[in-house]
Amino acid sequence: MKHITKVYGSLYANNDIPLTLNKGEILAVVGENGAGKSTLMKILYGLEQPTSGEIYLNGEKQNFRSPHDAIAKKIGMVQQHFMLLEPCTVAENIVYGKEPKKGLFFDREGAVKIVEELCEKYGLHIDPRLKVGDCPVGLQQRVEILKVLYQDADIIIFDEPSAVLTPQEVTELLATMRKLATMGKSIIIITHKLHEVMAVADRVMVMRLGKFIQEMPITETNIEEMSFLMVGRHVVERHVDPQPTGERVLDVKDLVLAGSDAKNILDHFNMHVDAGEIVGIAGVSGNGQSELIQCLTGLLPPTSGQILLQGKDVAGHSVGEIREAGCACIPEDRYLWGCAKEATLTETAIMAHQHKPELSKNGLLNSKGAKVFTQRLLDNYDVRNSGQSQKAGELSGGNIQKLIVAREMEQKSPLLIAAEPTRGVDIGAIEFIHGKLLEKRAEGDAVLLISSELTEIMSLSDRIYVIYEGQAAGEFRKEDATEEDLGILMMGGKLV
Amino acid sequence: MKKNDNGLSLVLLRGWAALRQPLIAIVFGLLIGAIIIVACGESPLMVYAEMFQKSFIKPYYLFSTLVRSTPVIICAMAVGISWRAGYINLGVEGQMITGAFISTVVALFMPGPSFLVAIVAWVLGMAAGAAYALIPAILTWKFNVSMVITTLMMNYVASYITSYFVTYPLKDTAGDGLSIQTPEIAEALRLPRLSSTTTFNAGFIIAIAVVVLILFISRKTIFGYESKMGGFNPTFAQYGGTKQVKVMMITMALAGAIACVAGNAEVFGLKYRYTDGMLSTTSYAWTGLQSALIAGLDPIGMTVVAIFLSGLQIGGSAIQRSMGIPLEIANIIQCCITLFVSVKITIRFVKKSKAAAKEGGKQA
Repeated sequence: MKHITKVYGSLYANNDIPLTLNKGEILAVVGENGAGKSTLMKILYGLEQPTSGEIYLNGEKQNFRSPHDAIAKKIGMVQQHFMLLEPCTVAENIVYGKEPKKGLFFDREGAVKIVEELCEKYGLHIDPRLKVGDCPVGLQQRVEILKVLYQDADIIIFDEPSAVLTPQEVTELLATMRKLATMGKSIIIITHKLHEVMAVADRVMVMRLGKFIQEMPITETNIEEMSFLMVGRHVVERHVDPQPTGERVLDVKDLVLAGSDAKNILDHFNMHVDAGEIVGIAGVSGNGQSELIQCLTGLLPPTSGQILLQGKDVAGHSVGEIREAGCACIPEDRYLWGCAKEATLTETAIMAHQHKPELSKNGLLNSKGAKVFTQRLLDNYDVRNSGQSQKAGELSGGNIQKLIVAREMEQKSPLLIAAEPTRGVDIGAIEFIHGKLLEKRAEGDAVLLISSELTEIMSLSDRIYVIYEGQAAGEFRKEDATEEDLGILMMGGKLV
Repeated sequence: MKKNDNGLSLVLLRGWAALRQPLIAIVFGLLIGAIIIVACGESPLMVYAEMFQKSFIKPYYLFSTLVRSTPVIICAMAVGISWRAGYINLGVEGQMITGAFISTVVALFMPGPSFLVAIVAWVLGMAAGAAYALIPAILTWKFNVSMVITTLMMNYVASYITSYFVTYPLKDTAGDGLSIQTPEIAEALRLPRLSSTTTFNAGFIIAIAVVVLILFISRKTIFGYESKMGGFNPTFAQYGGTKQVKVMMITMALAGAIACVAGNAEVFGLKYRYTDGMLSTTSYAWTGLQSALIAGLDPIGMTVVAIFLSGLQIGGSAIQRSMGIPLEIANIIQCCITLFVSVKITIRFVKKSKAAAKEGGKQA
């Protein structure tokens, strides 16, 4: 790829980017969110057309108008969000789009056989008859990889492949990549996890703000240099001093949330959070975390069990009552729960504050108070904006997240639930938000951190619970927790 | 200073963005109308000039336009307040009929000093309108019934029940007895005329007062804020701890009460009696709904559009009399405008889903 430039409006998503890939090589493309990695890959995969620049494959100029063109030239992509048909079997998913036929009909047994051969050839084992919906995330990703291999791809792009995996699954994935590379496949991996880059890549290319920064063999660099190049400055390793904890702020006892079938979504879940500590909940997403948050905040009434907030049982109370009792929440999905895209920044900022005397009196809003309040949040949390009448949906993900964090911190509540507080925001915003969570802890408040980023949990939490299938599968103090142990429990394994 | 400039240009940009859609739709609507006028063998420019003359320029017609726009504006407010909170209330017509009918009955039969009768009549009517709007709200809350269906169907219920009362027990037997209508209400209860030569009356002032009230509620109150957020994103409002059932009940009750005011403006300001079908055959509620759609639920925009659409109808009937162009031309233009506004919305929707599909990857 030569001189690739992609312009959206006035924004250069890619500015004159060169990229080369040799046969049998693993190239890591690293950069912060918004650095333009995904755009570059979308261009290579035919999802986007470059504004200018050319793509050459084996010396031949290419013009990819759609992924079909790219696939025809043996370029495949393993998406971050899997594109799988959950009710169908592994085999059906893999051959989908290029099915073996018996006369006019789909050849189911033929498909199974093809997949078995494929598994054998690449040493990626999976039962082709399993339903994809029943497979854990790691296996689903394997299905995606096999699908790309079935399409006979020589170049495979992995977009943030480890985002949803447990540490063990990541290790397996990296081994798979190495194996594919030795078999002559060329691999591009997009990521911001630098230790994975160190472990697997042959070469690394760093991007920042749509620009090509540097390219080097992996043997000539290290994590510090890469992160410096990515961010443009040095990132300080966070060191959190232990501090004594206070009284119990949140005590969850035997919490049950029944599912639509016999299985409970939350199954006698127990945990507690004390004042002055950050408690992390680690787990593969979909193990009851969302429902736990919803029960704690009053969005869902639990089937049974107690939620003691400062000694008062709030299980089944309304959202308003629970907020009143001292709980604020940074929601896991900022556009679903955290804001309305059409609402102005003022309207976004005052949510759940609107009854406070600063902002209203007798049901009448104090517009001036709201303006002052909002401006304070925007300034103190460094939210880049073009005025309070700007719409929430027009801010970048990191900025709207900072505003939401600001709003919930401003509740100054004894308990703060922070669900995926840094999902999809750039390193600068991550550092900032982590700093604010630690400030909250230093003030002696309780923080419950729910995140699928294990590193986030490990670096911030004083105590860690692992949630697996709605149960607290384990509890660790920070100094006793290792990624391996957490990973085993996250997968439903047992520690010996 | 720079920030202010930004703010101002942003406001201008937003204003243009908000106006562009209805303006383009109006131009297209008039163009389609022009084609039909040409088909009728007339010159569109002449016809439009005449229509414009006889709706907005000549004082007599201007007043007729304003009189006609009175219930339309108020209905638009009732539609707007429920739609902006996310409740698709198609039952403003039924709520208007119920409320106005109750007000009329009280005005006809309640003894006592007229100011007291007037107050009780309006208050009871508004309460009836509110109660009628609460029925679908309660059905939605308790049984999760689609409000679109219930509100729409309840229009017919209200219409036929009042039709029965006007046709039989409450029918005015004085005069020729051919009209299906109630007797006239006492003179002291009527809204004062504001012009000696036309029917322009205090109802229009009430309509403007309702607009101001709606503006106030939506911009200055916690209820207005919470209902607006609920309309934008219900899960966001829920997460913020707003009591959504309460907001829904207040919203629908308010819409019903306002709908009653629309009907009352017509009964007490213009006709002085309840005539069968007077509030449904005139399509006040539906014209109000179209105004709300075209103006994107902005109260001031809805008022302007409501007056414009009413002017179209007044001008349309004027040219039918003077030029022999069928009255339907006004309806065609009005519907085309609404259609073009909706087309815009649809295009945006299609674009969005296409973009989403693109995001999702076309691997298969």
